[in-house]
Amino acid sequence: MSQKTKMAPKPDPQSASIVSAVDATALFSMDPFFHILKIVPYSFLRPPRLRLKLPSFSLPSAMTVFSLILLTYFLVVSGFIYDVIVEPPGIGSTQDPVTGAVRPVVFLPGRVNGQYIIEGLSSGFMFVLGGIGIVLLDLALDKNRARSIKVSYSIAGIFSIVIAYVMTLLFVRIKIPGYLR
Amino acid sequence: MATVTNTPVSDLLKSFKLKTKQQELLIRVSILCLVYILAFIIRLFSVLRYESMIHEFDPYFNYRTTLYLTQNGFYDFWNWFDYESWYPLGRIIGGTLYPGLMVTAVLIYRILHFLRFAVHIREVCVLTAPFFASNTTLVAYFFGKEIWDTGAGLVAAILIAICPGYISRSVAGSYDNEGVAIFALLFTFYLFVKAVNTGSLAWSLASAFGYFYMVSAWGGYVFIINLIPLYVLVLLITGRYSMRLYIAYNCMYVLGMLLAMQIRFVGFQHVQSGEHMAAMGVFFLMQVFYFLDWVKHMLSDTKLFQAFLRITVTCAVAVGTIALGLGMLSGYISPWTGRFYSLLDPTYAKDHIPIIASVSEHQPTAWSSFMFDYHILLFLFPAGLYFCFKRLSDATIFIVMYGLTSMYFAGVMVRLILVATPAVCLISAIAVSATVKNLTVLLRSKNKGVLTGSTKGSSSSKASSKALLDQSQPFQKNGAIALLFGAFYLLSKYATHCTWVTSEAYSSPSIVLAARGAHGNRVIFDDYREAYFWLRQNTPADAKVMSWWDYGYQITAMGNRTVIVDNNTWNNTHIATVGRAMSSYEDEAIEIMRSLDVDYVLVVFGGVTGYSSDDINKFLWMVRIGGGVFPVIKEPDYLVNGEYRVDKGAAPKMLNCLMYKLCYYRFGEMLTEYGKPPGYDRARGVEIGNKDIKLEHLEEAFTTSNWIVRIYKVKPPNNRW
Repeated sequence: MSQKTKMAPKPDPQSASIVSAVDATALFSMDPFFHILKIVPYSFLRPPRLRLKLPSFSLPSAMTVFSLILLTYFLVVSGFIYDVIVEPPGIGSTQDPVTGAVRPVVFLPGRVNGQYIIEGLSSGFMFVLGGIGIVLLDLALDKNRARSIKVSYSIAGIFSIVIAYVMTLLFVRIKIPGYLR
Repeated sequence: MATVTNTPVSDLLKSFKLKTKQQELLIRVSILCLVYILAFIIRLFSVLRYESMIHEFDPYFNYRTTLYLTQNGFYDFWNWFDYESWYPLGRIIGGTLYPGLMVTAVLIYRILHFLRFAVHIREVCVLTAPFFASNTTLVAYFFGKEIWDTGAGLVAAILIAICPGYISRSVAGSYDNEGVAIFALLFTFYLFVKAVNTGSLAWSLASAFGYFYMVSAWGGYVFIINLIPLYVLVLLITGRYSMRLYIAYNCMYVLGMLLAMQIRFVGFQHVQSGEHMAAMGVFFLMQVFYFLDWVKHMLSDTKLFQAFLRITVTCAVAVGTIALGLGMLSGYISPWTGRFYSLLDPTYAKDHIPIIASVSEHQPTAWSSFMFDYHILLFLFPAGLYFCFKRLSDATIFIVMYGLTSMYFAGVMVRLILVATPAVCLISAIAVSATVKNLTVLLRSKNKGVLTGSTKGSSSSKASSKALLDQSQPFQKNGAIALLFGAFYLLSKYATHCTWVTSEAYSSPSIVLAARGAHGNRVIFDDYREAYFWLRQNTPADAKVMSWWDYGYQITAMGNRTVIVDNNTWNNTHIATVGRAMSSYEDEAIEIMRSLDVDYVLVVFGGVTGYSSDDINKFLWMVRIGGGVFPVIKEPDYLVNGEYRVDKGAAPKMLNCLMYKLCYYRFGEMLTEYGKPPGYDRARGVEIGNKDIKLEHLEEAFTTSNWIVRIYKVKPPNNRW
């Protein structure tokens, strides 16, 4: 059986710098530069008394990272990179052959791999809404909450999933006319 | 009171009654068997509709090399110099391909022959991808079991068996590297995560061999050699350094690197290429971590250790940066190649490398492609990420990283949706499994008097809250049953969607085209194979064929003739020469063709059938690539007001260039559609501008029955001036 030692060396720069500052002034030092510095500027210059702290770096919590990831997922899935490179218009337009009026077209017709910006963002929002719905359902089953909150979470979760699924299917049916036929 | 009957039948039946654990094992094994069979048969649409043939373009090259391997053995294959492509340069095939796919297919072929099944190598090639897709479902089951639990493993196997993102590149007939490579990718990742979880040397070495198989199979192994160091780095940052991680990564990196260098195409890239430097950097960082651990173990003084730590970390980082800088400056470490750099900076290919930008699979992904390939997995993916974050462990951190990086790359390039598919399926499986588990726990909870919500009760009101709880329990149970039905409904819609997408979109062998006739009947266009067979039978054996690079592999494999450029696209100047010839006037083009010894020219034309992937639609790319090397070719010459036209208003250079003449020769007399003038191009929807085309140096040799492929012969120069 291999060893399972778990060691996590975490350098702590803040306390180390304070400790070393105390050490440098209190103990005898072999450092030649220190002796030179003691004479040349610092015999007539006095360093001011400051209370400086190195910024401490702590890892963010798991749920913070999760919300950042959700935002990134929204961008990727709504075709943001496609928007940046191909630069489609925000919304398309077509001219009505009879009246000559210009009507907006939301979904780029004809191709599977093409979109306008707004249709991408709205579809991405639907996907994230569906995902959040499932998360709400799981939160609703957590034991340590008040019952009313659990009920409202579960209702919100179910609604989110249903709306997201129905809207997504609607979008796909509009975009690809022959879907499921 | 039950009466006990002692008949031998009931005794027999009692001996068959299984214990719960055995029942569970039986259910699991039967589910896996069914999923294995399902993954195989869903990919067989095109074999049943058309015939057992190789699809697309790239698989024809793989088929030709596999044929050579079966006929001539491994050493001839490994040292093969092909003089039949890239005339007059030739191609060192042994050193420029990934042999994993061919070797695998030939191994299966030899095993079948040993068992006295005398199959043709083509059948083995066609069915290799579905076979490996089935194996991938098994690996996905074990991987899911490693990350979460057996339920998640089963759901992962089911999801990945029918996911369209994977099916698109692994249908029967798609004999391409990805079919085998996705199996190798998931297998390597599974072995590595198992090694990190157990810390065992055997699993680490197995993951090194899995990595070797991946390197031999696909150029996408760069993803593995960058994801695993990134994962190790994240573990180190989050404080999860352990001896298990040390053993796993060291063994995998060292042995994997040595094995990868056995593939000639990869060569010394693991120590010389910028794309592989991350792995080496993390390797040295792990040694530093181990060293610091050892020193901390020896020292008893914390303050001294802190000082030592700071010095060591600074020195290590400085030395590493200096070494990297020296390597890059001296040119020993090559920078990231264009193919992979365009993944990090997607705008790079558009401006600098038109060949990469022209491939339709390399376009960025729109939302509808995601929806098409994933369906409800797009909802389950963020939910699965949430569950992974709730229960963080070494394995879930890995799958989260794999999922996120691969989703980003899938957003950059449509083709890479394939690489993201296993991660998306696994994470979605976690979401499904966790949700269903929650719901079934609700269903199975008995009235034990567990207080779930109300904390305001004192001991006297506990009774009343219990009563309230009992009232809500059946409501909860009904709700849970309804939600389970909802989940079942969603998953069944997923299955319907996947089957529809596979049947309609991903099962077409691009070499045979199908369309609906006037009465709804299916019309098949087999023009490509007709043309290649004509070439094979009616041209001299040493004839050289010039065409655009898309068709090179097919011409060499089926027509058995030498080509000038093919899909390998390794020599941009050669392709640009062909592009220049296609876009020049006939007199200039014949000079180029004579210098290349061209005997036949092949063009693809879709004007009669309305086929839109023909050479006239690809023509602007020929101009761009040709113009990139020869400034003589200027793209604005072929456009009118920035618009690309072939009718009367087209630019004069467009109307008289070689490609135009070859495609529309004699087309001006052709009636293509009822009610339209002769010479009406159905693919562009316009009447062509130049109908009276005369060819001086070429003559028409063959046009297929639907005018899709047209072959011209280069006339020898005149005898007398």
